Amino acid sequence: MSDYQQFLDERDKIDFLIQKGCQIYGVREHLNGASVDFLHPNGNVTETLLIGTANGRKYFSSLLISQNQPKN
Amino acid sequence: MADLRINLAGIKSPNPFWLASAPPTNSGYQVQRAFEAGWGGAVWKTLGDPILNVTSRFAAIGFNGQRVAGFNNIELITDRPLDVNLKEIYETKKKFPNHAIIASLMVEPKQEKWHEIVKRVEDVGVDGLELNFGCPHGMAERGMGSASGQVPALVERQTYWAKEVAKTPVIVKLTPNITDITATAEAACNGGADAISMINTINSLMGVDLDSWNTIPHVAGKGAHGGYCGPAVKPIALNMVAECARHPHINVPISGIGGISNWRDAVEFMLMGATGVQVCTAAMHHGFRIVEDMIDGLNNYLDSKGIAAVSDIIGKSVPKYSDWGNLDLNHNIVAKINPDVCINCNKCHIACEDTSHQCIDMLTDVNGKSYLKVREEDCVGCNLCSIVCPVDGAIDMIEAPRELAPMTWNDRQTALSVAVECKADVAK
Ligand SMILES: Cc1cc2nc3c(=O)[nH]c(=O)nc-3n(C[C@H](O)[C@H](O)[C@H](O)COP(=O)(O)O)c2cc1C
Repeated sequence: MSDYQQFLDERDKIDFLIQKGCQIYGVREHLNGASVDFLHPNGNVTETLLIGTANGRKYFSSLLISQNQPKN
Repeated sequence: MADLRINLAGIKSPNPFWLASAPPTNSGYQVQRAFEAGWGGAVWKTLGDPILNVTSRFAAIGFNGQRVAGFNNIELITDRPLDVNLKEIYETKKKFPNHAIIASLMVEPKQEKWHEIVKRVEDVGVDGLELNFGCPHGMAERGMGSASGQVPALVERQTYWAKEVAKTPVIVKLTPNITDITATAEAACNGGADAISMINTINSLMGVDLDSWNTIPHVAGKGAHGGYCGPAVKPIALNMVAECARHPHINVPISGIGGISNWRDAVEFMLMGATGVQVCTAAMHHGFRIVEDMIDGLNNYLDSKGIAAVSDIIGKSVPKYSDWGNLDLNHNIVAKINPDVCINCNKCHIACEDTSHQCIDMLTDVNGKSYLKVREEDCVGCNLCSIVCPVDGAIDMIEAPRELAPMTWNDRQTALSVAVECKADVAK
């Protein structure tokens, strides 16, 4: 799979969780990229995605920044 | 015609082009001819206890047909008696009262030595002083030049000693042979420097002869490191000027030196914070008259931009120079090959396939004609293809539509640390 295809795949998985109302609530960076923890809106179910592509890591970081911004 | 006059820490000159302290400023005869040709100022060949030189002294590297892409020397400071130099400085200043004459000085790191030489050169009417803490060879073995210039405490102390007696502005000339030039620049400021200049030459060995196994240059079969300068050092010098210009504790004017060969280079240095520039290698390569093109080119550039005075461009690019952590990670450019201009040499394909991201395809159209095409989604915008492309206009780097808001590494790390803190709170 090309880097771009892998990025699209990772982005889809992230978008799917965000659309379900999940929020990023933890990020662990390591030699294989980043493990991103998502928290369900009900507050107790978490899911973790391994994000390996550079564009994928830019993508969730941008989402995290907008998530941290105060909503009007 | 724009106003080309500059005022560097009180030293005024009719234009920003000065000859750097080096062979072109060795004597009154030369400096007077340089002023006649149009140079606005000259930093006299460094004065101090007259030295002994070796032969040979110079070597140069050519690149792809360009001679003197880089230049190397193992020459020391002036070998002429101080009184002879002072007499010629006096005469030159009398003939050219509106041109800047700066005395470059180098003595042992002793207070009385600095006091003595500063007083003697100021007596003949120089417009300013430049303390040479940069010469990397020979003099450094005697504790002077870059040996002093690499130790911030020595830079500060010697600047202070010069300033104790100086009546004219003191410029401190810095060595690039140091990891972080802002450390010595700051030390110069702390010592009271009115301005700083950079760069002196970079430690270098030009080559080794494959038959005799002698160094290039060599002196009767032995070599020693020299100082590198000329066009090859320009990017190093420009960065050092820019780093000093944007440093919050370095607030004195900068005289830019290093690889400046034409008016364009001079404009770049001034945009990056230099108040004026000094030139050595280009004058040694092409003679004093290159300054005519420099003056014309600068004038035309300023007129074409509607800028009335050259001083208006000083430092205009400094706010655009920052740390890597402040660059936008979400800004994307991609390569686009223009098939009408491309000559199908395949250099871009080879470079991308072998050494970058494998995103340039070699294709054949319906008529059997081969062409090259970038898969934009896989292109990381590294510029390599456009750098190796031999034809202007065949590859453009174009901005891709923005998909995400601007985000720097520093923004990202802040957001990540907030996420880690939140998680800790939730866990509690
Ligand atoms: C042959 C030669 C002799 C030099 N002598 C001196 C000197 O006496 N004092 C000094 O401050 N710099 C000296 N320099 C350094 C130049 O003033 C200048 O800092 C350096 O060459 C970078 O500028 P450029 O790239 O325009 O040559 C010398 C350079 C060369 C090539």
